[in-house]
Amino acid sequence: MMDLLYVELKRTWIQFIRYPAEVIAGLIITTSVFYGLFLSARYMAGPSFAFGDRLDAVVVGYVLWTLNLYIINDIAIGLQSEAQTGTLEQVFLSPFGAPRVFLARAVASLALRFTLLVGIVLLLMGLSGSRLSFPITLIFPFLSLVMAGYGFAFMMGACALVFKRVQQILGIFQFLLLFLLAAPFEESTGIMQSLRFLLPMIPSTGLLRDLMARDIGLDWATYGLALLNGIAYLAVGLFVFRWAERMAKKRGSLSGY
Amino acid sequence: MQLAHRLDSERPVEPIRDSIVLATRDLTKTYGRGKQRFEAVKHVSLTLHRGEVLAFLGPNGAGKTTTIKMIAGLVRPDRGQVTVAGADPHRRPSALRHIGAVLEGNRNLYWRLTPEENLEYFGVLRQVPRKIAHRRGLELLDRFELLDKRQTPVQKLSRGMQQKLAIAVALIHNPQLLLLDEPTLGLDVEAGETVKALVRQIAQEGRAILLTTHQLDVAEELSDRVAIIRRGRIIAEQSTESLLKEFSDSAYQLEVEGTLTAQQHQKVTQLGGRVDGSHITYAGTPPNLYALLGALHPLPLVSVQRDRADLTQVFLKLVKDTQDSAS
Ligand SMILES: Nc1ncnc2c1ncn2[C@@H]1O[C@H](COP(=O)(O)OP(=O)(O)OP(=O)(O)O)[C@@H](O)[C@H]1O
Ligand SMILES: [Mg+2]
Repeated sequence: MMDLLYVELKRTWIQFIRYPAEVIAGLIITTSVFYGLFLSARYMAGPSFAFGDRLDAVVVGYVLWTLNLYIINDIAIGLQSEAQTGTLEQVFLSPFGAPRVFLARAVASLALRFTLLVGIVLLLMGLSGSRLSFPITLIFPFLSLVMAGYGFAFMMGACALVFKRVQQILGIFQFLLLFLLAAPFEESTGIMQSLRFLLPMIPSTGLLRDLMARDIGLDWATYGLALLNGIAYLAVGLFVFRWAERMAKKRGSLSGY
Repeated sequence: MQLAHRLDSERPVEPIRDSIVLATRDLTKTYGRGKQRFEAVKHVSLTLHRGEVLAFLGPNGAGKTTTIKMIAGLVRPDRGQVTVAGADPHRRPSALRHIGAVLEGNRNLYWRLTPEENLEYFGVLRQVPRKIAHRRGLELLDRFELLDKRQTPVQKLSRGMQQKLAIAVALIHNPQLLLLDEPTLGLDVEAGETVKALVRQIAQEGRAILLTTHQLDVAEELSDRVAIIRRGRIIAEQSTESLLKEFSDSAYQLEVEGTLTAQQHQKVTQLGGRVDGSHITYAGTPPNLYALLGALHPLPLVSVQRDRADLTQVFLKLVKDTQDSAS
């Protein structure tokens, strides 16, 4: 399994350094689009912009959104392009089984994205003049967030296996996600305050905002729920993916028939 | 169920004593539903032993690729069973360790990676430890004469090299069964010969090979046995040699230089030969052949040949015959 992770990292890295243009172009676009959005939002709404009352929180929300988007799109887009180029069936010939291979892939590509993301964060902090703190406890809610993200990645992967074309679904999802991640549900009151633990990723992003923008320490009880949230979405994602794999094998449509 | 599973996982991965590598029983696959329902494969049972090459032949759309994918666990059969080295790849993914496959088309590799990187990657994907995968990869590259190209991205290699590399990658985990779907498609004569030679070597190592091809001369040269599939059904399965013999008749074809005199013509016809210019067809017994040759004296002989069916004739005849009897 470690070997698998290693070769996936190597493969991701090689494909990146040999063809960096695509990735870098994507990064520049997302960064500049956001910066434009951010400036105009501040201009129109003033400092009490609805995405969150503090700019820092918006930045965190945006960064998380970018990261999650990468994670979530990664498996589906990889599946779709490999079905077209024809390597997908070779991947499904692995005795590891497809879920493990794709999990290793997702982890490897996250490692690369994460490195790039640190770059974006620094850039955005420079541009927006916000200062975020990075306590080490950050790693915990980040982990639970990523788990839920992978859950969705597998669900989108399942869509790619079953429907073949996933661009539209991914596009719609992108905005849903922006809303979910940017809206500060943790500040809501009443019934929403408990319901938010059922929504994907929300408890983790709330904690991250606490840690990074509000300088509140990690509340372990809340974190427990966030972790549970992550595990549950990951499990659901894997389950749906397995179902889609069976479905594709039944239809004989793995290679994009 | 629990018990069966445990016993099985405790069995070491030693070479199976029994020489059967692949057995399929009654494989059946229907695609689509309702009006689109289409029976692609019907009751296909095949057996393949160590070191044996089975040519799996059939017209376009006969169900060859579907069968191969069912064997590789990529398409789920509606009915029937696949056993590779004693295990069913649909139930137990570990059975995939014994299967190597080069599927239809030319994209079995990552085009952005080099041959060396592809071999290492797929080796690990097939559960070979990384160091071993790397070493075996270099050995295979050497053997397949690709060592000098090991650092060139696959997309820059020629079609023939890509195909050789795809076969090398399919062997990286030392599988007992190799599935090749149209391995010589789109290759020039020389590359085709190289691939043929490789297939022969690989079979000699004791692996079982199932290959499909539309180039019947390739099948005839390589295969120990042929199975012919038509509209999803196996219509013939036997050793290549006996199949060819069965369809060969014992006629001789003779060719002489110049034309026969009227006398010679009469004599030959009396002996049962048929004259057509300088060509003579003779379907009698071998001893009488000499009488016939005597009758031709002193015309110079160009050739004397015994008819032998080639696989193309056999194939066309079989496919056509079953078509007639079916309609
Ligand atoms: N996933 C699928 N969904 C629906 N029909 C399919 C699917 N895969 C194959 N078929 C149909 O099943 C039949 C058998 O296809 P298959 O690819 O097995 O044929 P083949 O013998 O490999 O042909 P060829 O020599 O052209 O490669 C064809 O009629 C094909 O159109
Ligand atoms: Mg085919």
